[in-house]
Amino acid sequence: MTTIRRILLKTTGAWLLGAAGPARALDKPAGAVVLTVAGRVRSPNADAVANFDMAMLERMPQTSFTTRTPWYAHARKFTGPLLRDVLSLAGASGSTLRAVALNDYWVEIPAEDVAQYDVIVARLLDDKPMAVRDKGPLFVIYPFDARPELRNPVYYSRSAWQLRTIEVR
Amino acid sequence: MATANDRSPLAPHAAAEPGARRWRATWLGAIGVSLGLALLAVALVQGRQATLLNQTVTVGDDYVVLTVYQVETEYLRLCNQWHRAIDPRIPLDRDALQLRYDIWISRIGLLHNDRTSRVMFGQADFSDTLRQIDAFIVRADELLGAKPQRPVTRDALEALEPALMALGEPTHGMSLRAAHHVGAQLAQRNVAVRQHNQVGLGLTIFLSALTLAFALISLRQMRQLEQRRAALEELAANLRVARRDAEAASEAKSMFLANMSHEIRTPFHGLMGMLSLLRETGLNPRQIDYLRTATESADHLLAILNDILDMSQLESGRMTLAAAPVDLRALLRDVESLMRPQANAKHLALHIDADPSVPDRVLADPTRVKQVVFNLLSNAIKFSDRGAVVLDLRQAEGAGGAAELEFVVSDTGIGMDDATQAALFRRFVQGDGSRSRRHGGTGLGLEISRNLARLMGGDITVRSKVGEGSAFTFRMPLQMGPEAPSTHGAAGHETVPPPRPLQVLVAEDHPVNRQYMAALLESLGHEAHFTANGEEAVEAMRYRPGGRRFDIVLMDLHMPVLDGVGATRAIRTLPDPAAATVPIVALTADAFSETRDRCLVAGMNDFLTKPVSPQKLAASLRRLFGADALAEMPIEAAPIEPLAPTGAPPFIDNAAVAMALQIMPRERLAAMIHEFLEQGPQTVQRLRAAVRDAQPLELRVNAHAARGAALNLGLAAIAATAEALHEGASHLPAHEIARLVQRFEDLLRLTLEAARAAGLGASAKPAPAAPPAPAASATG
Repeated sequence: MTTIRRILLKTTGAWLLGAAGPARALDKPAGAVVLTVAGRVRSPNADAVANFDMAMLERMPQTSFTTRTPWYAHARKFTGPLLRDVLSLAGASGSTLRAVALNDYWVEIPAEDVAQYDVIVARLLDDKPMAVRDKGPLFVIYPFDARPELRNPVYYSRSAWQLRTIEVR
Repeated sequence: MATANDRSPLAPHAAAEPGARRWRATWLGAIGVSLGLALLAVALVQGRQATLLNQTVTVGDDYVVLTVYQVETEYLRLCNQWHRAIDPRIPLDRDALQLRYDIWISRIGLLHNDRTSRVMFGQADFSDTLRQIDAFIVRADELLGAKPQRPVTRDALEALEPALMALGEPTHGMSLRAAHHVGAQLAQRNVAVRQHNQVGLGLTIFLSALTLAFALISLRQMRQLEQRRAALEELAANLRVARRDAEAASEAKSMFLANMSHEIRTPFHGLMGMLSLLRETGLNPRQIDYLRTATESADHLLAILNDILDMSQLESGRMTLAAAPVDLRALLRDVESLMRPQANAKHLALHIDADPSVPDRVLADPTRVKQVVFNLLSNAIKFSDRGAVVLDLRQAEGAGGAAELEFVVSDTGIGMDDATQAALFRRFVQGDGSRSRRHGGTGLGLEISRNLARLMGGDITVRSKVGEGSAFTFRMPLQMGPEAPSTHGAAGHETVPPPRPLQVLVAEDHPVNRQYMAALLESLGHEAHFTANGEEAVEAMRYRPGGRRFDIVLMDLHMPVLDGVGATRAIRTLPDPAAATVPIVALTADAFSETRDRCLVAGMNDFLTKPVSPQKLAASLRRLFGADALAEMPIEAAPIEPLAPTGAPPFIDNAAVAMALQIMPRERLAAMIHEFLEQGPQTVQRLRAAVRDAQPLELRVNAHAARGAALNLGLAAIAATAEALHEGASHLPAHEIARLVQRFEDLLRLTLEAARAAGLGASAKPAPAAPPAPAASATG
């Protein structure tokens, strides 16, 4: 049985405002950059890109669900910010997202997926950070168990792990 | 196979029907079962296809190929990075190596996945490869693991390089094997899908065929139903036509029957008239006996005709009831006067009684009520050999609480068992066969009576036990008639006095008798109207000249054209109920009870013998119209008999003259006597002609007429001679008759003299045929 637990934090109002309001300068990452949102980004914090370190992602509202995936034998719990929140924070606006992994694997995710499904940028697996050899540190994951129509290779392929960059087009 | 249908003429192919129906039912059943099975199979196939597809999706075997290829790719990238790291010309980039190494390990992790191992397991060298890789990782992790035990140096990397290179061959083999495996699996799945498709196609064809067969059979069934419905409709139409035809035929028959019985009655009345005339022709006792039998048969036949007429009218619905105010007690008296002779003839007591609570006047059809009661009573008398017949009239409460009249006729006759009672009211059934033979009758009487009773809104029921007699109850709704002014009267006789003076129709052929009756009725204060024969009387009742309604008919029995009995019967069948129920009183010179019975049976209400005295007529009118009608007439203690009991009759009967003088002045009586005597020679001539021509009937008719008139006028000797002629006309020798005619002629003169002597001399003109006589002034 799948459970979806949405963790609503007190910053809800702030990120909604950020999403709807005019472009606003994003904080500069303090630690190592783990995710870069490039392309059509209105709130860059570096050279026309929005860089995120793990702490920035951790500060965002977290969503967490348990689902089965083709990559693990059993259902696992994934936790992280919603992808649309990340994009919103970066002021990204586009129809296609190209998710690029550490090994240069890339896949294109239609923007509708992000609006329609609670796609998360998972940073915790079973509440633990993921190492690169554990397909970490970031993993785009769809709520496969909650939405049966997602259980096919198209969506499995869109679940990019070892996520490094999102190019907004 | 024999079924009830076989015998039905309406379904000639019915015998084949059940077989065909069973065949169709079997086929429909088989097709239904097949359809069900086929659908089940389709469901199974599709279920399996769905399972197969699901498996493909969830298992993602083909995904394994990608995984394994990525493992190989990452292996090659790691090798590349490794070679760069040990190349002394390039600076050592530990981080890049570390990342490549980690990425490769993350791919290796996928090989440990269940799914991958399921695909790859069974490949002999897969586990060896995994072990080989794991062994390398253990060694490499000393440099590049989460907790390195040694620093990453070129030498260390170089030392591990051969082991890394050794993984190339198995990793590549793994990729090939995975591709081959998935290819084989795809081929296998394709075969399965093709098989499923073929099975599905077959099933679809089968289903289509079944559906087609089903549709065809249904279509056939519908067409047959349609045909059957059309046939039934046609049959119904034919039946309707047949029923209409049958009804028309039945109605035509009823009409024919009604017309025929009506047509038969007319000549039949002539026949009966002739029979009664034949009686006057001087028959010997044996002939009289034969004639009586013939007359009885004729009466019986007439009754049957009347029954048939009634029945056919009831059946054709043309019988209508004419409700009129009826005096129930008078009606019962009429019935009693009709039935008493029959009861007397069988020595039965007859009690007719009306409960005091029964109202006097009700609304009813008197003719039909009388007919029903008469029928019940005559049955009771017919089937009783001793004891009494009782008619009780009482008021009762009907089923709906409405007031009813109950005529209960009980007898002490032979009674009936249940079966007989059940069959009683059915047509032509008369008790049982043996009874019919004993008692005669049409068997229509009770059916007619019950139908009449029901037409009135009532019914007839019966209670009976063998040997204990029967009780028939005739019920009819009680409808109150207009209230009549109550009259005091002895013995509860309360009747309505008709408007005075009564309009009296007298049917009388003899002119002297007409004058006498005119005087008599005038003296009683009534108005007399005359007709000369029965036919005229019937016409007068039918057409009511001058809009006159006659209250009573005084009917001479012996008349030319149509006699009194025939005229009475004709009047009783007139359509106008008032005319048909008019009281009729017979006037006759003979007082035989046989004659009296004949009159009553024909429907007359009373019977007066000539000479008709004012007292007798008054008493009769009182019986018919109530006490008031003649209240002022003195009633004599004893009726005056026309003939002196002993010795030769006098010329003038003083008692009769005294009676006549009660109703008319002496002058008028004298004038009438003279007129009679003046016509005497003509009578003598006719008598002589009849003797000469050997016409005994003519002789009797003339003698009878003369006798009646003579009796009324008190001319006793002439009356006696006329009677002798009447009686002897057919059997006395000619010379004896001639002597009697001569005597009659002589008496004309002698009587005239005697009349003069008695102070009844003609005041006006002397009779030319009579000897000249001194004019006598009327005294008195």
